[in-house]
Amino acid sequence: MSIGGSDLDRAITQLRACRPIPENQVRELCYKARELLIEEGNVVGVDAPVTICGDIHGQFHDLMELFRVGGDVPDTNYLFMGDFVDRGFYSLESFLLLLCLKVRYPDRITLIRGNHESRQITTVYGFYDECLRKYGSANVWRYCCEVFDYLALGALVSGAATALEPTDGPIADNVTVDLPDPEQDIEIETLNANGEVMFRYARNGDSQSSATSQGNSNAASSSPVGPTPSRSGAAGTGATSSVNGSARNDTGAILCVHGGLSPLIDSIDKIRLLDRKQEVPHEGAMCDLLWSDPDEIDGWGLSPRGAGFLFGADIVKCFNYKNDLSLIARAHQLVMEGFKEMFDSTIVTVWSAPNYCYRCGNVAAILELGEDGSNAGFVRRSNGDRAGGGRGWILGSNAGPNGTSNEENRRLSSVLGESMQRPRDGPGRRYRVFEAAPQDSRGMPAKKPVADYFL
Amino acid sequence: MMSSLNGAPLDTAAPGHVDTSITKDGFKITTRKLPILKAGPIEEMTKKLGITPPEMIFGDNFMRIEHVPSGWSIDFNAFDALDRVDKTGDSMLKVSYSKEWQQNRQKQFEDIKEVVKPFDWSYSTDYKGTTPDQPAMQPTDAPIPLALLKRPDPIHFFDDVMLYEDELADNGIAMFSCKIRVMPARLLLLARFFMRLDDVVFRIRDTRVFVEFATGEVIKEYTAREEKYETVRKTLAGTREDVLSIMRDPNRLAEFIPVIEKSSDRVVLK
Repeated sequence: MSIGGSDLDRAITQLRACRPIPENQVRELCYKARELLIEEGNVVGVDAPVTICGDIHGQFHDLMELFRVGGDVPDTNYLFMGDFVDRGFYSLESFLLLLCLKVRYPDRITLIRGNHESRQITTVYGFYDECLRKYGSANVWRYCCEVFDYLALGALVSGAATALEPTDGPIADNVTVDLPDPEQDIEIETLNANGEVMFRYARNGDSQSSATSQGNSNAASSSPVGPTPSRSGAAGTGATSSVNGSARNDTGAILCVHGGLSPLIDSIDKIRLLDRKQEVPHEGAMCDLLWSDPDEIDGWGLSPRGAGFLFGADIVKCFNYKNDLSLIARAHQLVMEGFKEMFDSTIVTVWSAPNYCYRCGNVAAILELGEDGSNAGFVRRSNGDRAGGGRGWILGSNAGPNGTSNEENRRLSSVLGESMQRPRDGPGRRYRVFEAAPQDSRGMPAKKPVADYFL
Repeated sequence: MMSSLNGAPLDTAAPGHVDTSITKDGFKITTRKLPILKAGPIEEMTKKLGITPPEMIFGDNFMRIEHVPSGWSIDFNAFDALDRVDKTGDSMLKVSYSKEWQQNRQKQFEDIKEVVKPFDWSYSTDYKGTTPDQPAMQPTDAPIPLALLKRPDPIHFFDDVMLYEDELADNGIAMFSCKIRVMPARLLLLARFFMRLDDVVFRIRDTRVFVEFATGEVIKEYTAREEKYETVRKTLAGTREDVLSIMRDPNRLAEFIPVIEKSSDRVVLK
């Protein structure tokens, strides 16, 4: 049988109920998905508005909660940054649902590859076992692994607004200090799962309002709901000190990748040149993009583990500058607060698996980027057929007639390694923070530990 | 593998119970289970420890046995466990593909060969609990009376508490967890460090604390097991067992990994 139209909708319904679909449907689905993904470039072009999500790790019921909080597909445009599988108990249902949605609404959902979308890792961390248990054979695991090889390595979001559209959400109960006036340009906003505002930060806010927002953030984080991170909030405040003088600036593009940067990659075009249709290698640029981590160091460092890279603020700032990016969004690392901005808000970690492994008690977050009303500055590259070479949207010279020369000047100063200023305002960032789906909705065993006669 | 994930019982889920406790004949047993630390406390801990804490750090959790009349106590917490991790990098392990990786890398990036902040990132610790100087425990040959613990006495109090866990960047698992069961006449606490570095090594370091309430006798037994990954894999391959699932389960693994160090201490509390 073929999986298309109404069959696909039926499969989506079944998967939404957390029931696996038959093996022959999986085969058909994976075939369709591969046909679609093969047309995508290594770096998929995505237009704002978009909601960016981090690791899911088979926590199906929490993925449903994510859709409840962030809106359903296709109403909301989603970008998932990999690690759909392993660790949780419903990797299969989670990944197949996302894949069905991808096939059904290819323009409304983007999936990129995480380090867990690999044969080697899934045999150790659960997905392989799960497929074997649920189907009695490794066929489904094999079909899925073939899809993994076709997933894009990154995405480039363009057309994001520098300021958020104000939400009409009420202020959360536990917020006791004044939030910046919503008439101002709102750079960062954190909402809880009920859509209530927990934290708001105005761009170019004077020191008074900045201190206020930070105080607010602390107040919120000590509350029982409390997911607003003091650190992330503070990182947001750091952004203003280095912000451009101009009142309204367009934002650069946002690069989304699972892990981080690679010393082999100094431009996004170099990512586009990689041959991605393979198992994740143990080394090289493709490996780095899926595995590396930002850290408080200068330049590049080797991880103490003996494999893998760490990269510091200077690397991120330089990369963003060169590639006209305002932000890198990545996943890969667990953060208690669901998101963590680093290096003057030039990079953010987004984590979307609440109560990770059903025992960490962390909250999860998704990042919403709004659409820039004045989108006229964004042009397609002549060879940038979205479905073709995957070059997607790139930034046009919306800096005006002098854009190019300004560009040159900035590039020079950056190469000279002067204290790098933010070349662009970051996009307005709305974080929606949510907790794990209620325990009773997942058919999981009770929380209470079961006494055993261990020795 | 529904029942456990990397050897951790599924039902360690309950983040957020604060302080449950029971008292038996002057022995007060307390456990605390809270979510992993937030960014702020993690930074503080990083500063105090001098190393990056594990990815999942349950810094607020603890398990404690106190003998109120004598002032003796034993406490298991993440900070003290991590404070005993090698912070110099002298005993640093390498992931299995490190050599291949670094050879290729050094050709390309002569300037990136410095390991930043070296330390034992496997978080191996020989932590045996935190105890006061007085009353002191003395080395002993007396074993924990297993026969008494094998009896199906009713369990009046049971808990398991995770102190830390790290996935070693998907190269295995390191975790420190504690379990306790309190029966009418005695209790057993098991604090376990378990580490599997894929294709490199297995480590299990157990501290068992036994208390006989009536006599006030406390025996603490430390057992360290260690074996090369490949050796264990070969042994398991010769059995009819599911090799992968055993490799995730320290309870099963222990019988395949030889003891390399053992010590016992004892105190009788009045």
